[in-house]
Amino acid sequence: MVSKALVITNAQGFHMRPASVFAGAMAKFPCKVFIKFNGNEYNAKSPLNLMAACMKCGSEIELVCDGDQENEALAAAAEMIQNGFGE
Amino acid sequence: MLKGTGVSAGIGIGKALLIEEHSLEYTPVTITEPQAEIQRFRDAVAATKKQAEALRSSAGEKEAEIMLGHISLIEDPFLTGEIEKLIGGGQCAESSLEQMCDMFISIFSAADDDLTRQRAADVRDVKAGMLSVLLGIDEVKISDAPEGSIIVVKELTPSMIAEIKKENVAGIIAETGSTTSHSAILARVLEIPAVMSVDGALMSIMGGDTVICDGKTGEVIVSPVESELNEYIAKRERFVKEKAELEQYRGKPTVSADGTKYELVCNIGKPDDAAKAVENDGEGVGLFRTEFLFMDKTSVPTEDEQFDAYKKAALILKDRPLIIRTLDIGGDKEIPYLGLEKEDNPFMGFRAIRYCLKYRGLFRTQLRAILRASAYGNVSIMFPLITCVEEVRAGRLLVEEMKDELREEGIAFDENIKVGIMVETAAAAVIADVLAKESDFFSIGTNDLTGYTMACDRGNGNVAYLYSVMQPSVLRMIRRTIECAAKEGIPVGMCGEAAADPLMTPLLISFGLTEFSVSAPSVLRLRKNIASWTKERADEVATEAMKLETRYYFLEVRGAAEGF
Repeated sequence: MVSKALVITNAQGFHMRPASVFAGAMAKFPCKVFIKFNGNEYNAKSPLNLMAACMKCGSEIELVCDGDQENEALAAAAEMIQNGFGE
Repeated sequence: MLKGTGVSAGIGIGKALLIEEHSLEYTPVTITEPQAEIQRFRDAVAATKKQAEALRSSAGEKEAEIMLGHISLIEDPFLTGEIEKLIGGGQCAESSLEQMCDMFISIFSAADDDLTRQRAADVRDVKAGMLSVLLGIDEVKISDAPEGSIIVVKELTPSMIAEIKKENVAGIIAETGSTTSHSAILARVLEIPAVMSVDGALMSIMGGDTVICDGKTGEVIVSPVESELNEYIAKRERFVKEKAELEQYRGKPTVSADGTKYELVCNIGKPDDAAKAVENDGEGVGLFRTEFLFMDKTSVPTEDEQFDAYKKAALILKDRPLIIRTLDIGGDKEIPYLGLEKEDNPFMGFRAIRYCLKYRGLFRTQLRAILRASAYGNVSIMFPLITCVEEVRAGRLLVEEMKDELREEGIAFDENIKVGIMVETAAAAVIADVLAKESDFFSIGTNDLTGYTMACDRGNGNVAYLYSVMQPSVLRMIRRTIECAAKEGIPVGMCGEAAADPLMTPLLISFGLTEFSVSAPSVLRLRKNIASWTKERADEVATEAMKLETRYYFLEVRGAAEGF
């Protein structure tokens, strides 16, 4: 299991488009991917979960990957979040 | 009379077609063969996805994006996984689906931001679609609405609007929704009069009733008496007539009443918008903002990526002018990979040309991409936020260097490409005489020019009253800029909001502006307005306006433009 602490940087957080794009990208990895935020765990392969978490710009989260290709998944996820989903 | 919020202008008169929510009721049952029930659910997911994809492919760009979002919800692995777990526990597909969707609807509805709350509507839409499939219900087809229908509905969903046949639907009335909801945006795109947030619409209106909806005032009249009906028929005629009047200016040159020709072009933010400029009869593009290329990315766009975007716009416009503004960013915009620091005062900070002249690699790439695109159309380069002549010189020098590089590499570009500047700071307006000698053209950016001249942020409610292009100081800045350009014989345009303001038209004609750059939907209205002025009459208005010691506002000029 690998994990990384990150801060959400794009203005509107995980709204529809970033949530779909991010979840879609994570779905390609066989490992489990989830986000710990505000004491809860959210399935990062689910756009609904990501939106329901109400993560905003500036929210501090922990990204956790567990299973096959966990390092690759973590790197890809971290890059997307740090780049603010290209917004 | 019912009252709601007008969200899409126009008068709709027609027969009510009630889109009742079909009963999606069912009796929950206990499942004995979970595996078969899971299969039934998976088939329903596939069928719903297929419906959404069909809508997506037949819909416009905006609708398609919304449907794409819906598809990602339908396929959400968490949602389907949890539903299948419930089914595995013996619950039927319908109630499992409903339980999970309702959970998300209640989470989203309780969110503290509007954007997330709006997602509840999307989940409801998806849930209703899947339940209909599971229950084998044929939806009432909005696509079958007869000509002259006024659609009356509780909530207008994006998938409903994707089904609308524009020629058959005279208006839309919904019990929920607001100006900013997705379906309101779509109604405006389709130019269908629409009123939303009409309380009790489905209770007060019967199918087949004659209904009037005014998409501007939000008024809804059910079974109008003859006088009301006539009044609104006249209103609708006026609305349609005004639109038709503007249509007469399509394809015509932009000329004043005494025959002076002007250039009337558009402001765009994406290559595809060039097509909108052409559709709305713009004579070219006076401002192509390039920030989008940088904002939709995770790293600096490559030269080829930029070249493709600029070339695309150039090819759409053919020989019409295309003025490309180089990167105009600063610490107020989120472009993480540029490493822009948050600044206390970003509007006076490290931005636009200042940034580009420091990070020259980025600037060179953009200039090369623009130069390469210049081989495919009538392209010019424009530098933003100029405050002193050294910036113009440094920028032009780099353009020449890039030309040398391309020449050596044997890559085609327009040798005579024009290089102009934005006049959007008080500094630039004051030294416009100097800058005019070193620029091929000016474009006055009135939004920033007003802000910088009045030292006023219009987003700050305490000082917003100062923000007006009609302030004597700002008008003098504009007049001076135009006069300095005329003296050097270079073209001078305006690309801020003021360019489309009918109050400004006589002043700009009198001062000697040569190019108006406005949003695409403003083109025909401005062309009509310009056609109503002679130089002599415009000079009279300008002389009076410039005598004013306070803010300019001539009611009669506004009245003449708006026809009252």
